[in-house]
Amino acid sequence: MTASVSQRPRRPAALGRNLAFLGVLLLLVVVVATIDLKLARLVDLPGQLASILGKMLLSPDTPYFGDAAALMVQSIQIAWIGTIMGAILSLPLGFLGAKNVTGGLMANGMRQLLNAIRAFPEIVLAIVFVAMIGLGPFAGTLAIGIHSIGTLGKLTAEVIEGIDPGPVEAARATGANQVQTLRWGVFPQVAPEIVAFWLYRFEINVRASAILGIVGAGGIGEALSQALVYRRYERAGMLIIVVVAATILIDVASGWLRRRIIEGGTKRGGTARRQPELIEVDPNVA
Amino acid sequence: MTATAPAAPGPVARPARAPRSPWLPVALVLVVAATWWAADGIGFDVVELIASLGRANRIVSEAFPPNWGFVDQTIRPLIETFQMAVIATVIGCGIGLPVAMLASGISNPNRPLLWIDRSVLAVVRAVPDIMYALIFVSALSVGPLPGVLALILFNIGVIGKLLSETIDGIDPGPLEAATAAGGSRLLVNRWAVLPQVLPNYVAYALYSFELNIRASAVIGLVGAGGLGQLLQTQRRFFHYDNQLMIIVELFALVVVIEMISVWLRRRLV
Repeated sequence: MTASVSQRPRRPAALGRNLAFLGVLLLLVVVVATIDLKLARLVDLPGQLASILGKMLLSPDTPYFGDAAALMVQSIQIAWIGTIMGAILSLPLGFLGAKNVTGGLMANGMRQLLNAIRAFPEIVLAIVFVAMIGLGPFAGTLAIGIHSIGTLGKLTAEVIEGIDPGPVEAARATGANQVQTLRWGVFPQVAPEIVAFWLYRFEINVRASAILGIVGAGGIGEALSQALVYRRYERAGMLIIVVVAATILIDVASGWLRRRIIEGGTKRGGTARRQPELIEVDPNVA
Repeated sequence: MTATAPAAPGPVARPARAPRSPWLPVALVLVVAATWWAADGIGFDVVELIASLGRANRIVSEAFPPNWGFVDQTIRPLIETFQMAVIATVIGCGIGLPVAMLASGISNPNRPLLWIDRSVLAVVRAVPDIMYALIFVSALSVGPLPGVLALILFNIGVIGKLLSETIDGIDPGPLEAATAAGGSRLLVNRWAVLPQVLPNYVAYALYSFELNIRASAVIGLVGAGGLGQLLQTQRRFFHYDNQLMIIVELFALVVVIEMISVWLRRRLV
C-alpha cells in the first residue's frame, strides 16, 4: 500500500443543532428583555445570604431541636400514611392500566386518569384539601396519598407491561383463570420492583410532606416558613438541619432496603432495569 | 411433537415451592406497626375524614364553577411562570454541564475535586426547591428573582445528578482516541464526552424545563412570583372560584408542557 496521509474526516453536519442553539438563545433574550426581574437587587444578595446562612448554620437554635424533631416526625407520619394509601390504591389501578392485563380502551383510559392525577403537584392538592377539610395533617396526608396514586399507578402499569410473558402463558396453560394468572404469573414477577417503588415514593413523600406545612397541611413546613417570614433565622436553621438530616437518613435506609429487595428478588439474571434515582424521572428519559 | 411419544411419563411431581423469605412476616408486622403509629400520631380517622369531606360542600359549591372571568388577571403571572422557567432552565443547565462533568470519574480524574463536587451536589439536592425560594425571598424580598434563583439551584441538582450518571456509562473508546491524539482534559471532554451525552443532556434539559414549569407555579406560594403567587393572594382572600380557575390553568399548563416535552424527547433519544 502506498502510504498516504489520511484525510481529516469531514465534520458531521451541525446545522440543525446550531439552529436549535440559536433558537434557545433568542428565546432567552426575549424572555430576559420582557421579564421584570429587578436585577439591581442582586447586589444585596451576597451580603444578605452570608448573614442569613451565617445565622442559620453557625448558630442554630439548638434548644429548639426537640420541637423541630417532633414536627419532622409528624411530617414523616404524614408521608408514611400517604404512601400506604397510594400503594394500596395504586396497585389495582396499575394492573388495570397495563396493556397486557386489560388492554385497549381500559388500559388507555386508566393511564390517562393516572396522568391527570399526577399533573397536580402535592402542594396544590394540599391547598384543595385544606380548603375542603380544614388545616392540619389530614389535608397533607390526603394530598400525598392522591398524588402517590398517580405516580405509583403509572409505574406499576409500566413494570407489568415489561414482564416476561412465559410464566403467564404457563399459568394459562394449566387452566388458571384470570385472577389466578395475575396472582401466580404476573404478581411474583413484579412484586419486588413495585415494593421498591413504594419505598422510593416514601422517600419522595418525606421531602414533600416536609414542605406541605407552608399551606397549613401539617408537619414541619409551617414552622419553617413562619421562622423565615419573621426572620428568625436561628430557628429556621435548626429546622432546615433537622429536615435535611432526616431526609438523608431516610434516603440511606430506604435505599439500602430497596437494593436488598431488588437483588434478593431478581431471578432474571439480576437485571437492574432502571436506576432507582431515575425512576421518578420518567422512563422516556432513563 | 405429537407422534412417537416415548413411554408415557408418569404425572410430574408438583415442583417444590420456593422457600418463603423469613423476613416477610417480620416486615409485614413492622409495616403494620409503623402504620398504626403514624395514623395515631396524626390522628388519622377514616370516619372523621369522610365526615369532614361531607362538610366540604359549601366550599365546593363556592369554588364551582371556576371564575372564568378571572382569566384576564392570570395571563401576566402565567407568562411570568413561563419566563422564570426559561431563564432558570438555560442558566441552571448551563452551570449543570460542568458540574456534571466534575461529578463523573470518567470526565474528571481528579479525586479530591470529584469528591467535593459530588458532596456539594448531594447537599444541593437534599434541600427542596421551595426552601430555597423561602430563603431567597427572605434575602431579596418578594418577586420572580428569588424564584429564578431557587429554580437555578434546583436545576443544577437535577442535571448534575442525571448527566453525571450518563457520563459514567459512556463508551471509553473516543476518550482514548482523543487522549492518544494529544487532547488535553478539557479538549477530551469537549470532543469525546460531550458529543456522546449531548442527546441525553438536551433531553434532561427539557425534562428539567418541565419540572420548572411545575415548580415555578408552586414556589410562588412563598412569594417567588408567577402563578403560585397569584394563587397565594387569592387564598388569602378566600376567593375559591378564582383559586379553582388558577388550578385549572396550572393543570392545563403542566399537561401541555409535558406532552410537548415527551414528544420532543422521543424524537431526540
